[in-house]
Amino acid sequence: MFRRVLTAAGLVLFACSTAAYAQKQTIGAPPEASNMKLVGTNDLQARSAYQPTIHHQGDRWIAYIGHHGGTDDAPAPVNPMTGQAEPNGTSIVDVTDPARPKYLRHLPGQEGKYESGGAQMVRICDGKTLPKGDPNAVYMLRTFGSEAHEIWNVTDPASPVLIARIAGLKDTHKSWWECDTGIAFLVSGAPDWRTRRMTQVYDLSDPAHPQKIRDFGLPGQEPGSTGAVPTELHGPISTGPNGNRVYFGYGTNKGGILQIVDREKLLTGPMEPTPDNLRFPEIARMPMSAFNGAHTTFPMLDMPVAEFAEDKDGKTRDIVMIVDEAILNECGEARQMVWFADVTTETRPMMISSYTVPEASGQFCQRGGRFGSHSSNESMAPVYYKKMAFIAFFNAGVRALDIRDPYHPKEVGYFVPAITSATDKRCIPVEGGERCKVAIQTNNVETDDRGYIYIVDRANTGLHILELTGPARAVAGLPRN
Amino acid sequence: MRRAMVVAAVIALGALSGARADETERAGRWQEIAWPFPRDGWPAGRAFRCIADGCDGAELYIRAKRGFCNCDTGVADDDEVDRVTDLDLISPRFVPAAPGHLIGVAAMQGRIRHYGLDMPDGARHAATGLALSRRCDLLVAVAQGPGEANAVQSAALAFLETEEMKQWMAAALDGR
Repeated sequence: MFRRVLTAAGLVLFACSTAAYAQKQTIGAPPEASNMKLVGTNDLQARSAYQPTIHHQGDRWIAYIGHHGGTDDAPAPVNPMTGQAEPNGTSIVDVTDPARPKYLRHLPGQEGKYESGGAQMVRICDGKTLPKGDPNAVYMLRTFGSEAHEIWNVTDPASPVLIARIAGLKDTHKSWWECDTGIAFLVSGAPDWRTRRMTQVYDLSDPAHPQKIRDFGLPGQEPGSTGAVPTELHGPISTGPNGNRVYFGYGTNKGGILQIVDREKLLTGPMEPTPDNLRFPEIARMPMSAFNGAHTTFPMLDMPVAEFAEDKDGKTRDIVMIVDEAILNECGEARQMVWFADVTTETRPMMISSYTVPEASGQFCQRGGRFGSHSSNESMAPVYYKKMAFIAFFNAGVRALDIRDPYHPKEVGYFVPAITSATDKRCIPVEGGERCKVAIQTNNVETDDRGYIYIVDRANTGLHILELTGPARAVAGLPRN
Repeated sequence: MRRAMVVAAVIALGALSGARADETERAGRWQEIAWPFPRDGWPAGRAFRCIADGCDGAELYIRAKRGFCNCDTGVADDDEVDRVTDLDLISPRFVPAAPGHLIGVAAMQGRIRHYGLDMPDGARHAATGLALSRRCDLLVAVAQGPGEANAVQSAALAFLETEEMKQWMAAALDGR
């Protein structure tokens, strides 16, 4: 009898220790992975990273990575290439050989910590694509903290040159730049608007001479209005003149809105920011639950859906993938996740499916930091477009989804990087103080035309370059490796 | 000597209780009522109705809103007060009566602003919106009623400075 009790006690202890192991990441432990494997890494000088954009530049592949501001412990980390303390800005990394990324340059951003300061957003266009660009040049559009948008000539990515600046703003965020027209939908905080973030549409076809077209937002946000203020913009994605739509995501982790806008009417319609003029280009607006926001609104139009192949109508669907952003650490809010909206009948968009990482699969609410979605890859290169989506899920790493049937998205792979000595802590308030934990915080993800997947960490762990393995490759039609 | 000490202690206690009485008087009497708004993105807060002279019939709604991106700037301007306070739950039609100003309550800094509020029944109420920040989190309050705005604001602020409310606000901002 006594032996049986001892055995039972031992089993309970083993179960408890296994659970504790599953919750806590430790330095030196291997990454957690399924159907994805690590190809290369770079520590990005231990700077908190936001948006990566990968650009095929001549015969090289260059990663441009935006950064949040510094931390309390290191508001301006030292750049080992210059020996200087530099506020977080933009990292420029040669990833031609993804197994050996080469850090080329850190371009400092605005002073500030966490969401203040830095240079979070970055987009790249070739001069040969822009209508009035120098055909030999490559241009980078980036934010400068909350106060400005900047355009740099990055033809030599190791020696960028500032060529234009749009300043005097109270905030900025995730903008969109059409390389074939030069039209940019800049997420700005115009000083006289009632919201922190709205849209300023610019013609950046000649990157050295930005031409403002108009301000845009939701009625109630414009200057001089009164009453309730609609939730702020997070970011737009345009389908360009051919698609003639801009998909705007409002809200971050609450009260999200997907707004579908007629691009042509937006660019040529009446510009004065009156409620009627702001409504004029809107085709539809889909409010989400008050629990969820719209960080990314990624359009995938005219998707063939195998299940509907024999149907007389509706064989293809226009889909928008909406990604919420988790904000509070340790599950201190409603779950932020991924939603798929069928917008085929544009004036009646409907949410059709969702995806989240099962919390119990990693006890992610206990690991520390944020758990929930944040962002998706935004590349529309054929290698993954309308087949697979990659979702940054904070302490659950990156998740690879098979979205060929958007009515039933399926996870087919994941990668949770190991933490390092650079990984920053994440804290929650407890009575009389704070309790902190260290966990990976996969913040953003992007893919390149070769099929590599780039994830960056908000908690300073750097860049991880990944590739698919096993059955996940078949989903994208990639050859076996 | 001992008698003198006892007398001094009695006097001190009396002064303390007098101060507490003054605080209570300034705070008015606020009776807790059910949170009157439908569920939205933020957890419900606490609601109170004043049952004292000067603010009789006014209502006060308080709640924590945890998780904003601007953690270092505090409550930046009046537009932020317009956005984050719960005025829109009472009525989407509100108009600022004047520019707001800085204020400190319970060791938190923020801004306060007066509004005119068109109620659904057609009545016009005066309202006071208050937003206080603690790093990335906000404590927001709205006092509104048919009475005189300054009197309602004064009673509401005094109530928020009571020990009970300060403790509750700290706990709410901790997510407890």
